[in-house]
Amino acid sequence: MEEQNVDEVAPRLTRRKFLAVGAGSVGALGVASVADAGLASAAAASTLRVGWTTPPDVMNPFTFTTTASNEILWLIYDTLMEYDLQLNPEPSLAATQTRSADGKTFTYQLRSGVTWHDGQPFSANDVKYTFEVMAKNNLGQAAWSLADFQSVMVVNPHKVIVHYKLPQAFDPAMAIPIVPAHIWSKMKPSKILSYSNPNPVGTGPYKFKKWVTGQYLQVDRNPKWWGSAPAVKSIIWNQYENSDVMVQSLASGQLDILTEVPPVLWNGLKGKANVKPVEMESFSFHHIGINVSKNPKSKGNPLLRDRTIRQALGYALDRSQLVQLALAGHGIPASVQLPPSFGKWQEQIPASQQINNNPAKAKRILDAAGYKVGSNGVRADKHGNPLSFRLIAIATTDEDVLAGQIFVKAAQAVGIKLTLSTLDNTTLGNVVYNTNAPNWDIFIWGWDSGTPDPDYLLSVDLTSQIGNNNDVFYSNPTYDSLYAKQATTINPVQRTALVHEMQKIFYDDAAYLIMWYQSKLQAYRTDTWKGWVPTRGGMIYNFTRDNYLKITPK
Amino acid sequence: MSLRYLAKKLFTLAVTLYVTVSFNFLLFHVLPGNPVQLLARSGHFDPAARAQLVKLFGLDHPLIVQYFIYLKDMVHGNLGFSYVYRQPVTTVLGGAIGNTVLLVGTATLVTIVVGIWLGVVAASRAHSLSDATITVTSLGLWSMPDFFTGMILIFICGVWTHILPISGLVTPGLVTGTWGHLVDVARHLILPALTLTLVNAAEFSLISRNTLVDVMVEDYMLTARAKGLSRRRIIWRHALRNATLPIVTATALYVGMILGGAIQVETVFSWPGMGLLIYNSVVQRDYPVLEAAFLIFAIAVIATNFISDLLYQVLDPRVRRA
Repeated sequence: MEEQNVDEVAPRLTRRKFLAVGAGSVGALGVASVADAGLASAAAASTLRVGWTTPPDVMNPFTFTTTASNEILWLIYDTLMEYDLQLNPEPSLAATQTRSADGKTFTYQLRSGVTWHDGQPFSANDVKYTFEVMAKNNLGQAAWSLADFQSVMVVNPHKVIVHYKLPQAFDPAMAIPIVPAHIWSKMKPSKILSYSNPNPVGTGPYKFKKWVTGQYLQVDRNPKWWGSAPAVKSIIWNQYENSDVMVQSLASGQLDILTEVPPVLWNGLKGKANVKPVEMESFSFHHIGINVSKNPKSKGNPLLRDRTIRQALGYALDRSQLVQLALAGHGIPASVQLPPSFGKWQEQIPASQQINNNPAKAKRILDAAGYKVGSNGVRADKHGNPLSFRLIAIATTDEDVLAGQIFVKAAQAVGIKLTLSTLDNTTLGNVVYNTNAPNWDIFIWGWDSGTPDPDYLLSVDLTSQIGNNNDVFYSNPTYDSLYAKQATTINPVQRTALVHEMQKIFYDDAAYLIMWYQSKLQAYRTDTWKGWVPTRGGMIYNFTRDNYLKITPK
Repeated sequence: MSLRYLAKKLFTLAVTLYVTVSFNFLLFHVLPGNPVQLLARSGHFDPAARAQLVKLFGLDHPLIVQYFIYLKDMVHGNLGFSYVYRQPVTTVLGGAIGNTVLLVGTATLVTIVVGIWLGVVAASRAHSLSDATITVTSLGLWSMPDFFTGMILIFICGVWTHILPISGLVTPGLVTGTWGHLVDVARHLILPALTLTLVNAAEFSLISRNTLVDVMVEDYMLTARAKGLSRRRIIWRHALRNATLPIVTATALYVGMILGGAIQVETVFSWPGMGLLIYNSVVQRDYPVLEAAFLIFAIAVIATNFISDLLYQVLDPRVRRA
């Protein structure tokens, strides 16, 4: 359900955050419980109880759209390669991976003695089937990574070679869950699309056990898994419709860990007995998006195609203030589109060059461009068109609405009028992504990276993504060609330079005014399981599944 | 009750149902937005895959043909295919209806019994301290939003005292026999049902109190007392019978309202019923599920009204003659 925007539908994991924030604010009861370990009615120490407000959609690895389904399916299915706790690639179903010098060919030596949950033996043919069905039919969230796919060759039952038309900086095997050919090859692509996969069969560390829709989903340990057996016998993800109640349940000992905790509730957990709230960097940002569509049918205000006005809006904003007021401090003031969690990939913009918190400069550049202040305090161009724009935000995302209100005031101070209105998230998505005739000026929304590789966030605003992910209709041939170049550059130093250049260009063009990189806020109980490792992106609900596999009973 | 009356009522019922069904169809098919776009949830589709999906959901026919297919399917008990869950709508709705009927049914029953009893107690001691206490307390509870009452109960029973589970329908992962399962569900049912009862009992207690107070000053009450009947018998057998009509009306309205109105309570307690399903379907634009849910609500309201019409006939000879 959190892939809110149904028809925006990215070919990748996207926009994951939104519902989680909106779902829980029915009441605002603080967390004031006397925490003790009581009431653990069903849970022996062998079960891990996770709480979330973001229900899974389907268990079909080709059609799911939610992060919740991803979280579960990635424990039921294995990928050839996966991320470890430091988010570095590690072998999974493949025992080894080798990449050819030209970066176009990957050879995987598969583990032997692996069986599917239904007892059938796993072999290289399953890998071949999965890659081919996904690439040929454009099936699934990971199909994007197979855009350059050429062929897959089975050398022997334990060895496959995958060929790509272009060098691959990112190994697609990280993103593709291997499915059993003996089950799926009986279905036509249309059948695969409509199949709910009620009883998923994988090779992963956990077997699907039970899904009581709207209540909980349980998986049990796979005793025949190829890796070292995890300590957790069963994992149960409990669905909550209300974050307050979910947090109370953690405090009172009915849950062991939460995937996401709203900032105010997170603050309330500090100092509670046996509960540890954890703040980590995320792979997400929230941004102000400006309609820069060159489509003649666009009903966006054409004044916004002038970069000066967009930059002036950026100078008007104080990001630190936004983080303090809208996020209660749980985030980092933002600049470029890659958050600091990307480490060396992030371009550092020196403070003096940041388009941030400089209202005087905003006024100066607007004056210089001839936008004179009128008698009503609103600037206008030389034809008398006022700098007055519509601003939309998602009603249930409190921090965005608050940011919108702050933005309106900040813009007013430099002579730009903004009119804020709020919509529900699906409607906002429909309005923003109305590719044929976008009828909006400015919105507030956000992005979540689908991978810890910079590729995904950089791809959002490509010309080729207009009609798909590109939410501001940004189109810059230089940016596009740099993207193509970095995606096929294997040398990390060269690729980093290209990635930095892209961020700088996009930053200066100011089609996005990125506001903040929000923290990932989670919390767990310290008296049931131990060994949780805080990780960029979260202990769970992240690109790595290793915390599930490595924790031990207290 | 004459056969003719029944036939007339049944005919009206059928026409109302047909109009509702057709309106329901139109409502969801003239909505702006392209359903195919909504269906394409997992990224790039090649045109063939898109066409197949369109066919799967029957969107390749003209609207009028879709309408007749819809009617035909409905007669066969087929309510369509959920966009989100990729399952037949009947499957998706089935569980939710059961859960809502369990919650709302229990709550309604308790609400009516408690409400009427309180009303009788208040009326029989009209203008006394206990009357004032009951009236003021029920008014107070009635004015509270049900999610707020729910949060307070969660606080008291789940957080302070830990005596009852505060969310869901069952304890996740609990392995137990049939009896254990029933006890588990019953324990989960208490708080949401209590919330609905606390908030709504006032409606019934106030209606029955006020009607009873009016009835009790009638002459035949005096006669009954003069005959030497006991106070208890006068109130329960003579007075209450005449006060039943407004209560029946209120019940019929209440059932229709509460089916959808349990949304907040279902949300607070994460109770997987119709309210929650509808809320989530609206958010996700799962039109087939919404369409079916609205239809079920409409049928429930029409049916309860039909039953209350019939009950009038039984209860009140004046209606029978009219």
